[in-house]
Amino acid sequence: MLEKLESIKEEGLKKISEITKTEELDIVRKELTGKNSELVFIMTNMSSLSVEEKKSVGMKTTEIKASFENALKEKEEKLIDSMSVLDTPLDTTIPGSSVQTGSLHPITQMCYDLNDAFASLGFEVYSENDISSEKFAFDNLNFAPDHPARQSMDTFWLQGTEEKSGTERLCLRPHLTGGSVRYLMAHGAPARFVYPGRVYRNETTDARHERAFFQYEALIVDKDISFSSGMVMIQTILEKVFGRKINVRMREGFFPFTEPGYEIDMECLVCGGKGCKVCNHNGWIEVMPGGVIHPNVLKSAGLDPEIWTGFYINIGLDRLVMMRYGVDDVRLFHSTDLRFLKEFK
Amino acid sequence: MKVSLNWIKKYIDLPKDKTPKDIAYDLTLRTVEVESIEDTSLKYDKIIVGKILEVKKHPNADTLRICITDIGRENPVQIVCGGSNLYEGELVVVCLPGAKVYWHGEGELVEIKETKMRGESSYGMICASSEVFLDSFFPAKDESEIVDLTNIDCHVGDKISDIVCMNDTVLEIDNKSLTNRPDLWGHYGIARELSAIYDTPLKPLPKLEIDKSLPKYDIKVEDESKCKRYVGVEISNVYVKESPMWLKAALINGGMRPINTLVDITNYVMLAVGQPTHAFDSTHVSGNKIIVRNAYKDEELLLLDNTKVILTEDDLIISDEEGPLALAGIRGGKKDSILDTTTSVVLEVANFTASTIRKSGKRFEEKTDAGIRYEKNLDTEKVTEGLNLALSLFKELYPDSKIVAYGEEYPSATERAKIDVSKEFLNVRLGKEIPEETVTKVLKNLGYDVTVSDGVYHTIAPIWRSTGDVSIKDDVMGDIARLLSFESFEAKPLTIKFEHAVHQDNVLLERRIREYLANRCGFNEIFTYPWIDIKYINAIGIDTSKCVSLATPPAPELKVLRSSLIPGMLEAISKNLRYFNEFKMFEMTEVYEKGEYHESTEEETLPIHKKYLTGALVGKDAKELFYIAKGVIENIGKYTHMESLGFIHEEKPSWADKNAYLNITLNNEKIGELGLLSVKVMNEAKIKRVNVAIFEINSSKFIPFPSRTNTYKSLPILPLVEKDLSIIVDESITWESISKYIKSKVSELIFVEEYKGEKIPIGKKSITLKVKLKSEDKTLTMEEINKVMESLVKTLNKMCGAILREE
Repeated sequence: MLEKLESIKEEGLKKISEITKTEELDIVRKELTGKNSELVFIMTNMSSLSVEEKKSVGMKTTEIKASFENALKEKEEKLIDSMSVLDTPLDTTIPGSSVQTGSLHPITQMCYDLNDAFASLGFEVYSENDISSEKFAFDNLNFAPDHPARQSMDTFWLQGTEEKSGTERLCLRPHLTGGSVRYLMAHGAPARFVYPGRVYRNETTDARHERAFFQYEALIVDKDISFSSGMVMIQTILEKVFGRKINVRMREGFFPFTEPGYEIDMECLVCGGKGCKVCNHNGWIEVMPGGVIHPNVLKSAGLDPEIWTGFYINIGLDRLVMMRYGVDDVRLFHSTDLRFLKEFK
Repeated sequence: MKVSLNWIKKYIDLPKDKTPKDIAYDLTLRTVEVESIEDTSLKYDKIIVGKILEVKKHPNADTLRICITDIGRENPVQIVCGGSNLYEGELVVVCLPGAKVYWHGEGELVEIKETKMRGESSYGMICASSEVFLDSFFPAKDESEIVDLTNIDCHVGDKISDIVCMNDTVLEIDNKSLTNRPDLWGHYGIARELSAIYDTPLKPLPKLEIDKSLPKYDIKVEDESKCKRYVGVEISNVYVKESPMWLKAALINGGMRPINTLVDITNYVMLAVGQPTHAFDSTHVSGNKIIVRNAYKDEELLLLDNTKVILTEDDLIISDEEGPLALAGIRGGKKDSILDTTTSVVLEVANFTASTIRKSGKRFEEKTDAGIRYEKNLDTEKVTEGLNLALSLFKELYPDSKIVAYGEEYPSATERAKIDVSKEFLNVRLGKEIPEETVTKVLKNLGYDVTVSDGVYHTIAPIWRSTGDVSIKDDVMGDIARLLSFESFEAKPLTIKFEHAVHQDNVLLERRIREYLANRCGFNEIFTYPWIDIKYINAIGIDTSKCVSLATPPAPELKVLRSSLIPGMLEAISKNLRYFNEFKMFEMTEVYEKGEYHESTEEETLPIHKKYLTGALVGKDAKELFYIAKGVIENIGKYTHMESLGFIHEEKPSWADKNAYLNITLNNEKIGELGLLSVKVMNEAKIKRVNVAIFEINSSKFIPFPSRTNTYKSLPILPLVEKDLSIIVDESITWESISKYIKSKVSELIFVEEYKGEKIPIGKKSITLKVKLKSEDKTLTMEEINKVMESLVKTLNKMCGAILREE
């Protein structure tokens, strides 16, 4: 009997070892330990055996049953380990599927980056409408009455108003600065706000000149502040755009709506300030004008320049984006060319 | 503007340790932007004086000669030359190997090499003036004439740059940085700035004061509002000749061309002090009288180049008794010009107002050097400066000349601006305390008069800054700040007052919308110009009489400003179809229409502005595009946290297909449209082989929620049962009606699919929907579920004749 059991065990384990699919596990299990299995038959037909025999056969069958279970379990683990969800090999070098292809315009992206930076300094975002009047675009900003920018060669005047003056002569705004007076008239001082927007100049276009382009202006009005605080705004912008601290310098510059006015240069990032073609060999690149608000501008906004002061900076967004990515033609921004726009994720 | 450092050195001693680069840097930071620095001697590198010892025939060429030439070395060298005026003993210009020349005065610069010419070796080149930047110094009579230096004071081996006074450094200054500074349009002004920057004394200008008891030259200023001062001096015993080297070099490095000494003196004075002057041939001034008057209508002036200018009553002219001589301050006429026969001149030194010059100058494409300076608004005392310098030059260059008559009209003099600046104001605005001595010194170096009392600087601005540039205390502060250098003021951090967080619902909403379209819906953002090609405006039938137009548009077809973003979108679509056949784009910006709108004041009436949001979906399957577009708008409220938008099918937009459009609503107000582009519009806009779904919404109407508006529902305890149901109905039955009939009977109803085609009878369609069922207190049994489904079919059958679709 024991030999018989031994051969059942041997055959059974052999059978288990020959299993190749997980589905076979249960079939073999049934065959070896199920109701109709030889092993169970022996276990249920032990009445003819002696007590001693019963004991030894009983022990043996239990042992065999356990060894089958162990072997099946081991086999199952082995089979699962060797399984794959795929029935054929996978070419992992094929590119992954593409994600949604939409994107914000690179100018918008830049603008939002700057908005975030300025929001952290407590600046509001303001926007003025595209169409303004000579009063707000020039008169309020201390432009001389015969300043050349007022001519139609420079500014897009609206038909039917071009021969009028002041509030009645309307134009596509030539700069954002006029909006500063609108904001201050509506909200008063103190104030700190940025106003991004598009401006328009009647120019001949080429790779560096556009008729419609974007500016980003920031303004602070407060009491008793010094003009050198303007440096902080400049550093904020450049740090945000380029991701690190950028050396800047301020130098003399003239704008009707500032006194004093200054030009802000940043260290040339191409040569690190040593001088190269990009920076015309002087190590610096002009990035933005700025300055202390001219008292006449504050007066236009109904503020007393004896009490209030402040400063502007105005940055050309197109130029900044061009510097950020090395874009070489400003006209691409209005080209609506998706080949270009899809490059900016 | 070009600034010669040699010229500057006549007026100040530049610090020994400052290189031209340092000077350019200091000027750039404090005064004007220096764009480039040029060492003018480099052009003459390796070009020297040589002496021809022997001229021999060239064995292989008739037109060439072999010149044995002494170049100051131990042995003479052999140079082959084709010059027509070669002779033994002649002093000539020799370009040694390595020098750069214009071959025959043309083309690009080429480097001279030791070479063989027709078999004979040639060490360098004997040059004509046009070959080596010497034309102005030694004008040649013909092409083959080489420069003959025999009568010039020079020696073999001398550098040419020394002989023509071109060992100079020239700074090129950006004219834009000078627009507000009339005083800087001459070397003396720049020298004054440098004297203030380096705190070194400014030397006085050479001058010869006039004896005012001379016979009077008759001058009449008719329009005193346009001419504030006019001086005319008649000088005789002069003649046309070439100017000395130093004067020619000064003019060249100052950016002008030497002509003859009479003209050169006037130009030199302008480049020295910024005061334009003019010399008339006095024999051509009829009646010995100069009248400064407005032109008569259609009066003509013949210019030097024989072109005729038709004058207007706005033009200020210099006239004699017969007629116009010159357009004041802008262009001289032909009649009075200096000729080879000129022996006496009337020297004009005058002050014309900026606006007069600007107006008259507009007719010419290029501004003259004089015009540019007058436009900056010169002070009337500069006339004296210019006159005295000019007279001293006449004396120097024409020792025998005689001043025979003098006339002056001086209707109004520039007044110096008086400005008080308190120390307190300076300290606060500059952000630090500047010692009184420093402030006083800086201002005095710039030409201010300064006295101090009771903490106030009483300043009188220099006259050359008093024509508008300096008029208020902020201007004085600006002068102090820039002279001390902006860099010397530390950046002061701003103090932030934490009063409240910046919270701008509309600003944030606009950003969420853009990000929703770009990031969730796969649109690319575009920007179009506000002026749109009329072709696209007409394509969708916009009434242009309501549109705003430009007076001087970039092109005739770009006159009308947009009242809708769709025309621009059509153009963008047709452009991109060259490269793509499936894409999505959006634009969110302003549109305009005629109307009345007051943004800031009642006096100012602006056209009406609205902000529009327009999107286009381009692809093959029109139906699919329509439903995607609808989905984008349906969900926009949810994802951007604003009041949701709805639809009605009521009024067809002009551009839309007759079957596929919707009006977009917000709280029952129509604020936009959605639809497929009609075949007609696509034809007109040249949009081919694709379909386009478009939406346009007046986004100014959007109502942002102040915060995120997600709602939380507790998760169901019992599972929801989902069942699909396919029915067949008449084509005319809408989803809206089906939904209405059964919505209340289920816990959720979802549209799955509409299908027409195989197995579906003509005139019918199949609708597949999904329902979700649940019970509050127990799990639904199969039986209960089937019962609900049966009742749904029954209802639909009764209400709209629906039958169950067989699998």
